Amino acid sequence: MKASILLAALAALAISSAPSLAADATLVKVSLKDHHFVPAEPTAPAGKPITIEVTNQDTTPSEFESKTLRVEKVVPGGGKITLQIRALTPGRYRFFDDYHEDTTEGFLVIQ
Amino acid sequence: MLLRVFPRRRAVAVLCFSATLSASSAVHAQMAPSTPDPYHELETKYLFGFTEGADIGAQGEQSVEFESTTQFGRRYGQYGTLEQEVEYESVPSQYFGYELSAHGMGYSVHDVNGAANTQGANFSGLSTELRYLVIGRGPGSPFGLTVVAEPEWGRVDDNGQPVTDLSTTFRGIIDTELVANHLYAAANLVYAPDVAQSPGQAWARTSTWGLTSGLSYRLTPKVAAGGEAEYYGAYNGLAFQAFQGQAFYLGPTLQVQFTGQIMLSAAWSTQVEGHAAGENHGLDLTNFPHQRGNLKVEFEF
Repeated sequence: MKASILLAALAALAISSAPSLAADATLVKVSLKDHHFVPAEPTAPAGKPITIEVTNQDTTPSEFESKTLRVEKVVPGGGKITLQIRALTPGRYRFFDDYHEDTTEGFLVIQ
Repeated sequence: MLLRVFPRRRAVAVLCFSATLSASSAVHAQMAPSTPDPYHELETKYLFGFTEGADIGAQGEQSVEFESTTQFGRRYGQYGTLEQEVEYESVPSQYFGYELSAHGMGYSVHDVNGAANTQGANFSGLSTELRYLVIGRGPGSPFGLTVVAEPEWGRVDDNGQPVTDLSTTFRGIIDTELVANHLYAAANLVYAPDVAQSPGQAWARTSTWGLTSGLSYRLTPKVAAGGEAEYYGAYNGLAFQAFQGQAFYLGPTLQVQFTGQIMLSAAWSTQVEGHAAGENHGLDLTNFPHQRGNLKVEFEF
């Protein structure tokens, strides 16, 4: 019984803390070209939700991933994706192309 | 010494150092890093063996895992079990991840104190794991904090006997990077209430609590090794009503990230000290095994 209540509370907490798709989210645009991020270090303000729009100008697919932003999503060749990110504290958040991690990375700079 | 004798040189040196730093930062801000540092972030969830790390993975991540756990050594006789789990893991949000698991167990028990002789293999149960990230490690927080609940239904007990077993393991996890991207540490606080009924017998209520910790160092960008220490106490009753035994384990850990999608982690734990209620032995081999091993292989897709 106690376990059920705790599990329900855990599920409710997970739902309530999901990043909001706020209309006032800061839009950050990043492109992938020749397997490099452009810009390599986009900036965004602290304390506000962020929408990252990734456009793949290459013909091959990539996977936008970040361990500190805690997101990953495949970007088809010539395609575009958007990711909703929670409000962040100031710092540098590394992101990379999981298919080319040794060469393709960037940093979202939160100020 | 030189700087103490020549204060003007010290001032110049400090100015030069500051100028170099400023110039370096400005250049760094404008240019894309040409060669990424190979020692980038490492997921800590499976880094510490039986001790868990606080990471839950990235939103959108899905994987299949094969986990083997073996136990050896009880009081007298020959005792060995091998539990095989097949797990599906998903991370639907930046704060929450879950696993669904099916378990099978092979066992060989002969002349062990308080256990019937048996040998075989069987489907042994189902479980799920719910992970909620309270604090994410990264810019703004030097440590991560996660709470986990693992409800499980079991149909074979640790001695290979039929049972109806319902348990939930609750785990509070904290971890940190002692040296950024190189040296990691974690601690877990564990509480596991359990109700079980063997055929023809009344329901038995027991509980276990534990405090574990692990340390792991990256030998190369893709290989980390370390060690962990674990303490567990076993009790009758769901709220620690009657002490049954305690055990302290030490052992090594290893994690190898073969590719971005394939990871292996391994751990071995040996009970080095323990005590069972009413016994005068140096280890508790009544409530806990002498040796434990764990091997996980994860395929992300």
